[in-house]
Amino acid sequence: MPSRSAATWERPPPLPDGHYVSGRVYHDEQIFAEEREHIFRKVWHFVCHESEVAEAFDFRTVERADVPLLVVRGEDGHIRTFINVCSHRGARVAMEPGGNARTFTCFYHHWTYDTEGSCVSMPRPEGYDHTPIRKEDMGLREVKTDVKWGFVFVNLDDDCAPLDDFLGGALDIFDRVLPNAELEVFHYHRAEIDANWKAYQETIVDLYHEFMHVILRDTQMPAASMDDREMRTYANGHVTIAGLKADYEKYVGWGHRDDSTCFPGLEPDDARFAPLFPAQTFITRGTVMRIDTVQPVTAHKCLIESRGLGLKGESPEDRMMRIDQHNEYWGPFGRNVTEDAFAAEGCEVSFGKGAALRGIIARDEGGKGQCDSGLRGFWAEWSRRMGRPASHPTND
Amino acid sequence: MSASNDAVRELIYRSCRCLDTHDFDGYIALCAPAFRYRITVYSPELRKEMIWLNHDRDRLAALLAAVPRHLARLGSLQRNATVYTIERDGTEGPARVTSAFSVFNIDNEGRPSVFAVGHYHDTVDVGGERPLLVARNARLASRDLGIGSHVPI
Ligand code: FES
Ligand SMILES: [Fe+2]
Repeated sequence: MPSRSAATWERPPPLPDGHYVSGRVYHDEQIFAEEREHIFRKVWHFVCHESEVAEAFDFRTVERADVPLLVVRGEDGHIRTFINVCSHRGARVAMEPGGNARTFTCFYHHWTYDTEGSCVSMPRPEGYDHTPIRKEDMGLREVKTDVKWGFVFVNLDDDCAPLDDFLGGALDIFDRVLPNAELEVFHYHRAEIDANWKAYQETIVDLYHEFMHVILRDTQMPAASMDDREMRTYANGHVTIAGLKADYEKYVGWGHRDDSTCFPGLEPDDARFAPLFPAQTFITRGTVMRIDTVQPVTAHKCLIESRGLGLKGESPEDRMMRIDQHNEYWGPFGRNVTEDAFAAEGCEVSFGKGAALRGIIARDEGGKGQCDSGLRGFWAEWSRRMGRPASHPTND
Repeated sequence: MSASNDAVRELIYRSCRCLDTHDFDGYIALCAPAFRYRITVYSPELRKEMIWLNHDRDRLAALLAAVPRHLARLGSLQRNATVYTIERDGTEGPARVTSAFSVFNIDNEGRPSVFAVGHYHDTVDVGGERPLLVARNARLASRDLGIGSHVPI
């Protein structure tokens, strides 16, 4: 085939809507702003694992949809979430990424809040005697919070459907693992990369890019038939991928995992993925779990948070084994994640200013092999929530 | 005769230069057979110590040898180190060496940016003809490494 002229390059591909994505979705500022309102301020977000707030008064601070949040375990053992913004004049209340505190005193004028969000003191309150302002009405804004198998989720929309309705069974891919395991986070890192948030999330749902990763070429692609794979799409845009296998010793320098202590219900070579909409991914590989979230920063930057989880109370040897096996694929020096981030940044170069007009997501292998059905599921949900088809999101 | 402090300093600087230039055989030649390499960092989120890489000499050599096969970050990393202290127990015993490092990324257009900042905490065998690294803990102070790196620091 010859190269293409402007006319044939710009012409939409001969594919149905839903089988290609307009490049606009990666750089249009209006679309970016609407994503925050229609997606990120409406969905349930994984914010942390309960082991990060294991004891009473433990807290974590996070951000979702540009809203700073304070997740804290109360004296009663309940995990609650508040918008981390002072009721007085809007300063951020808790500053540290994590800690243990019975109360939170705003640095600015010392209004103080307890772990249930009540404003428990304000200096010289008599100054408000002539107004209706009373500390009893000045608590923090609480955010809906639910915990599923130790995963803490929040939703900024008070009118949202329950967490289980949102998940729609997508996490059940781990139902042999998670109800039987008490997990603990041992790895956390965050990284801001130069890419639209969707470009990174797509690398997780896109199985066709296995060729890009040396370790997947060596360990995963030959380990099981493409027909053994099962990619499922769910309501609300979630995807699961099961039936992946890996022969880890096929990569030079890596060892067998047969003797390793696996997560309950998993074989050492068993890999399972649950990329939940919009950008929160749960992955197990036999011995270890990874959870990624992606938050938009600008249309051209996103923040990736990545966790590694092991079994609570395991021996130091097992923990070290798990950390090593986590680090083989994942973490800032892992062989795999670095390449996914590279891919997202590589697409930003072409999509970020509009040089790339479209992406094609038309592979159909019936949910097996390297099918694009997961990508289509993601984009169908994006289109539904945005009220804009991803193939032609604007009228021009 | 044990290795001089000057030779110890040269070892640290040479280790940086070898990684900068992808002279991985040269790097491994600076390491004793019992070498242990780690990247560690504290997480204020988890309030826990973390290990981001942990290899003996053979596994590190295998990891480095495989680097050219990978889709690696563009441009190059450049390590700037300063040896702060060299502590010796006796003349022959291993030296404990602390150095500050900063690692810059130079992209394909020549633009520099800071990739990582931290300290090397090294154990150096100074008993032989030339000093050898017995252990390196590359202790990160910064934690956001962007897309990360296939080559350690
Ligand atoms: S802004 Fe927090 S006490 Fe004034
Ligand atoms: Fe990937």
